[in-house]
Amino acid sequence: MGRLGFIKDYLRYGVVTEKYPYEPVPTPETFRGKPVIDSSKCLGCGACVNACPANALSIEDDLRGGIRWVRLFIGRCIYCGRCADACPVGAIELSREFELSALESKDLIQEVGLRMVKCVICGKPFTTYRLVREVMRELSPDERVLTLVCPECRAKLTAVNTSFARW
Amino acid sequence: MQHSWVTNGCRELVDLLSRYGSVEEVGNAYLVKVRAEDLPEVANELQWGLGGYYSTSVGADFRPIDGTYKLYHIFSVPQCSRYVVTQASLPPSLPKAPSITPVIPGANWGEREVRDMVGIEFEGHPEPKRLVLPHNWPEGIHPLRKDFPYDRKLIIEGVDDEVEHVDELARKYQVVPIGPYHPALHEPEYFELYVDGEVVVEARYKGFMVHRGIEKVAESRMTLNQVPFIAERICGICGFTHSCCYCQAVESALRIEVPERAKYVRTILLEIERIHSHLLWMGVALHVLGFDTGFMAYWRIREPVMRLAEELTGNRKTYGANVVGGVRWDIREDHVEKALRILRRVREECVALTEKVLKIKEVVSRMKGVGYLSREDARRICVVGPTARASGLDIDVRRDHPYAAYGELDFRVPVRDEGDVLARFLVRYEEVLESVSIVEQALQNLPKTPLINEDYEVVPLRIGVGATEAPRGEDVHLVVTGLGNKVYRWRPRAPSYNNIPATLYMLKGAYLADAPIIIASIDPCFSCTDHCLVIDVRSGSSRFVSFRELVRGGYRG
Repeated sequence: MGRLGFIKDYLRYGVVTEKYPYEPVPTPETFRGKPVIDSSKCLGCGACVNACPANALSIEDDLRGGIRWVRLFIGRCIYCGRCADACPVGAIELSREFELSALESKDLIQEVGLRMVKCVICGKPFTTYRLVREVMRELSPDERVLTLVCPECRAKLTAVNTSFARW
Repeated sequence: MQHSWVTNGCRELVDLLSRYGSVEEVGNAYLVKVRAEDLPEVANELQWGLGGYYSTSVGADFRPIDGTYKLYHIFSVPQCSRYVVTQASLPPSLPKAPSITPVIPGANWGEREVRDMVGIEFEGHPEPKRLVLPHNWPEGIHPLRKDFPYDRKLIIEGVDDEVEHVDELARKYQVVPIGPYHPALHEPEYFELYVDGEVVVEARYKGFMVHRGIEKVAESRMTLNQVPFIAERICGICGFTHSCCYCQAVESALRIEVPERAKYVRTILLEIERIHSHLLWMGVALHVLGFDTGFMAYWRIREPVMRLAEELTGNRKTYGANVVGGVRWDIREDHVEKALRILRRVREECVALTEKVLKIKEVVSRMKGVGYLSREDARRICVVGPTARASGLDIDVRRDHPYAAYGELDFRVPVRDEGDVLARFLVRYEEVLESVSIVEQALQNLPKTPLINEDYEVVPLRIGVGATEAPRGEDVHLVVTGLGNKVYRWRPRAPSYNNIPATLYMLKGAYLADAPIIIASIDPCFSCTDHCLVIDVRSGSSRFVSFRELVRGGYRG
């Protein structure tokens, strides 16, 4: 009887396997697939880079060209979505796309290039325009000028100012 | 769900521990600082005097902090709902401690791993050989010491060709190596069976071929809240339990209060994981027995559970939900309804299918009386989980050390005394039904609180123990928090670590044809059973035997 029971089951449940890849597989709306960076929103702050457990995200400053590159290498991505959690402006979202194989590893890289601001004192590019704009919004007008000074020069300025104060 | 004798047992435990050193309470554990020479005595008292269970050993290099090595032994004392961590400080020049393996045979692997990775010598260890490191690894280099950089590339000469080959036995019996790897399945393990005709007389095991050094990676370059994601990738089936265990260890070390709703979400996901893991195993067990119809049927039932997990968390397997202090995904109202519907069906179909399977005589007779593990052996080698419960040991972390929301839910712990493969099958089957009931209760009683508590500070050098009941048994993590939002020492111990040595006991006296199901019965990884190489000792010739031949018992030496 046992075996006949199995046949009965099969007649009842029919075919349960899917025709994938000849038919698409549906994913739920909560699905965590390939992260997509919205280049119109990204500030280049690097919060996602710090959060990423797998080092799939990186930041590189091209000082000569004055461009900050935010790079996502899908080959290392574990689809945890910590980057989306960390992003202050919601520029990263996990899409529902999961068929990500590519013939060349460079096809697995997403890049966002952001124009950098030059330090008004030393002339070295140190952060992105968008980040400066975002920070300026939070500051009073007379504090704003310091956002255009790179951290090293700012440290020197502070040192000079405080030593004068002590005099 | 606590034992009624908790208070008495606890006082007894604290009295016992304070005889050996100062006792400190850390979450669900007592940390006791003992002298190294007292270790065998403490171990003896805890395991055989009080009826506790040895869990694991951990070595840590504290030379940058206070110039010593630390050796921890972790014991579970179920009647007190407490873990006990003994901490011994060893001098940096020649770190050595008396071995507790003569007292508790189950400590064999734990101590050998500490010796390999941290370089602490154990005096009186009955088998002072390498366990994790390959045989051609240079002497005196211990990867988990802090002066060994994680990205150091070591040039190792020769190949690791030394196997646990016992010459006297090999001369007398035929050797059947199973493993070490197969391209289609997950993990390499190597079993060497010495057979007399069809009967296995002795078995040897060699593993750790895919040691990935994740402890080192986590300690060296990951932050406290990145580690849960690598912890989740320790296991390809029950990863969530590892990330949960890690987070609990950190929460216990830093005394972080986890919101109620997060505890319930954790419980739900942990049990969903157990359901799919057990259904997977039951299918695989039937596959190994050559009954592929049953295998397909169990996996048909399992698929909706995987889909449910995908819908709740965004992925079928790596739920990515745990971070220190709580969880990241909520369970929505509409998901609750759907989950309850799916679980009802899983329960009905699982009961109906298992009844059908157990009516098939060939299946039952290949499991009944096969792979026997006595209660005493199970206790001595400290097996955990369904393997222990099928040999009459009534232990379950969910009940003995309530974590997440288990203390508030009602469930039964199935225990059987037969100690054979059939008992392990039935224990897992009953656990599936219990798990379904746990998820149902948790879904219906989800508290309305926030999901995560992020209001905490990372205090360096605090110790915490996390324990969960993984589908395969007790999972223990020890965490020492570090400077700069990092972990100083993280040691995860998966349940199979304690269970694999038990297969060697089960294999003795078994038929060769039963070896695959015996090895599978503890639910380890599996690739090893796939094909084997038979060496004819007399002629020195060898030939391959396919998995199918071995499974069907068609092979004649």
